[in-house]
Amino acid sequence: MRRVFVLLVLLLLVGCSDNNKSELNVLNWSSYIPDEVIYDFEEKYNIDVNYSTYSSNEELLAKVTSAKEGTYDLIFPSDYMVEIMKDKKMLEIIDQNKLKNIGNLDSKYLNLDFDKGNFYSLPFLAATTLIVYNTEVIKENITSYNDLLNPKYKGEIVLLDDQRIIIGASLMALGYDMNETSDEALEKAKQWLLKLTDNVKLFDSDSPKSFLITKEVSIGLIWNAEAAIAMKENPNIKVVYPEEGFNLSVDNYAILKGAKNIDNAYLFIDYLLEEDVMKKVIESYPYCNVNKKTNQILDNTYLSNEASNISTYNFNRATLVKNIGTSIKKYDKIWAEIK
Amino acid sequence: MKKESKFFKYLSLLPISFYVIVLIFLPLLYIFCLSFLTTDYYGGINNTLTLSNYLNLIDLVYIKLFIKSFLIAGISTFICICIAYPFVIFVSQKKKMTKNIIMTLVMVPFLTNSLIRTYGWIVLLRKTGIVNTFLQDINVISSPISFIYNDFGIILGMVYTLLPFMILPLFSAVDKIDKSVIEASYDLGSTSFKTFFKIIVPQTKVGLFNGSLMVFIPAIGYFFIADLLGGGKLMLIGNLIKNQFLSARNWPFGAAISISLVLITFGLVKIYQKIGGKMDDLGGF
Repeated sequence: MRRVFVLLVLLLLVGCSDNNKSELNVLNWSSYIPDEVIYDFEEKYNIDVNYSTYSSNEELLAKVTSAKEGTYDLIFPSDYMVEIMKDKKMLEIIDQNKLKNIGNLDSKYLNLDFDKGNFYSLPFLAATTLIVYNTEVIKENITSYNDLLNPKYKGEIVLLDDQRIIIGASLMALGYDMNETSDEALEKAKQWLLKLTDNVKLFDSDSPKSFLITKEVSIGLIWNAEAAIAMKENPNIKVVYPEEGFNLSVDNYAILKGAKNIDNAYLFIDYLLEEDVMKKVIESYPYCNVNKKTNQILDNTYLSNEASNISTYNFNRATLVKNIGTSIKKYDKIWAEIK
Repeated sequence: MKKESKFFKYLSLLPISFYVIVLIFLPLLYIFCLSFLTTDYYGGINNTLTLSNYLNLIDLVYIKLFIKSFLIAGISTFICICIAYPFVIFVSQKKKMTKNIIMTLVMVPFLTNSLIRTYGWIVLLRKTGIVNTFLQDINVISSPISFIYNDFGIILGMVYTLLPFMILPLFSAVDKIDKSVIEASYDLGSTSFKTFFKIIVPQTKVGLFNGSLMVFIPAIGYFFIADLLGGGKLMLIGNLIKNQFLSARNWPFGAAISISLVLITFGLVKIYQKIGGKMDDLGGF
């Protein structure tokens, strides 16, 4: 009886929550926006932000398709996932007139192949995958993926645990495009990776920088923000934009069809487009900044960091990950084979 | 009167039936059906029936992966047995109070999340970790030993996490052996080695197999240990299934691997029943 009573009290308490506040349901990458920024937004606009996270584009797709329409309002898909979601008619058209800070965006990141005209998406941040190495341990100059095959580096490498990026890198090492799907190229890429795995100590996507900082390994093929943080912790860590090319991922704001809080989603996007808000984001997660006004107020520690700031020359030779449809199964099999 | 008691009997079964049907049977049925379907260009599910997901599994790559997983799980189970037997025999000779205290201590690690305990091992054993630094400081080794980010790390993690599941059923089996039988064995001139294999093992084989199942089956699926202590370099069946759902956008194939794993588990349980184990004991402590 007492249990029933306790349960009833709990139910009543739940019922007492504040219903006047409006809501916003955000689904974003883990560690991408500092809590402080979300808290400030909630205070400023009196909106409750329900914030959930995912750690891969596929997980995002799985979460959105398995949830009831209207569960999430705002999401942050990468380039090729925007294309998939756009084709599956999952996204709402973005009315750019509702965003007064839209002019802050760097035009370099607008109008990209996956969403010409930016009807469904606007860039939030961009990331590159780069080689980093600790010059205390590695005395040779590393400039390319093929340099990583040096038998001296046994057990010295950490790679992202991401099939598209790593198989993509091996394809580029062999002179192919990173989105290549022909059996012949993939077979060669597999052989190349099998050679590389002799040198690999671990695969990790969550925090590969920590293995460089604790000196568990001295070479990494990791996200640029991770590289930037590692360089800050250890000035001997050097970053390389691989000769053969590298991957650029652009993560975007997108509003889901059937979103219940569209106006709040616009408010949140516009808020993040403000230069000083974006500054806080970039300072916590030093990826490539796509907000040109923020660049004017960011301090030198960020602006002088080679990993976070991509030059126009390098930007032009970067490759976006594309949707390769069912060929992903071939990639997955290679992944199972090299591990 | 009799009818009414029957009514209450069914009523009392309602919550557990609900649990089994809604939370176990239906999801499993969904996975089962899913394993016969195909995917479209975007990884969505197409309603065309196929056996290809199972046929694709018959491939050297995946067979090797199954063998590797079973090998890791098998070695972990064997090491657990080697540690657990001496331990439970030692404990079973203690006074009742001492027994209770020791067995409670075996359970204490469960109070902390196993993921966090795994991170603890990383801090201890990594290249610049406490153990390596200490050994280098006292000049026992000149360069750090790779304890983790290899197969050793995975097995260590599995044994550490799953050992209690071996100790508990084995203890209840060993504790039930009549002490006078063991004494009789010694009185008749048997060595302790012989006593162990001729007296203790046959009488505790159900507990032993029970514990082995409880270690072996999770050891196939604990992908977080392979990721954290193996450095993500070794793919276990658990990792493969996870990848199908979260990166390859191939849910039907993931479902087919899951169903295969369920069938293998059923097979092992059948063997368990054959050697005389009761189903109650499997979940019975």
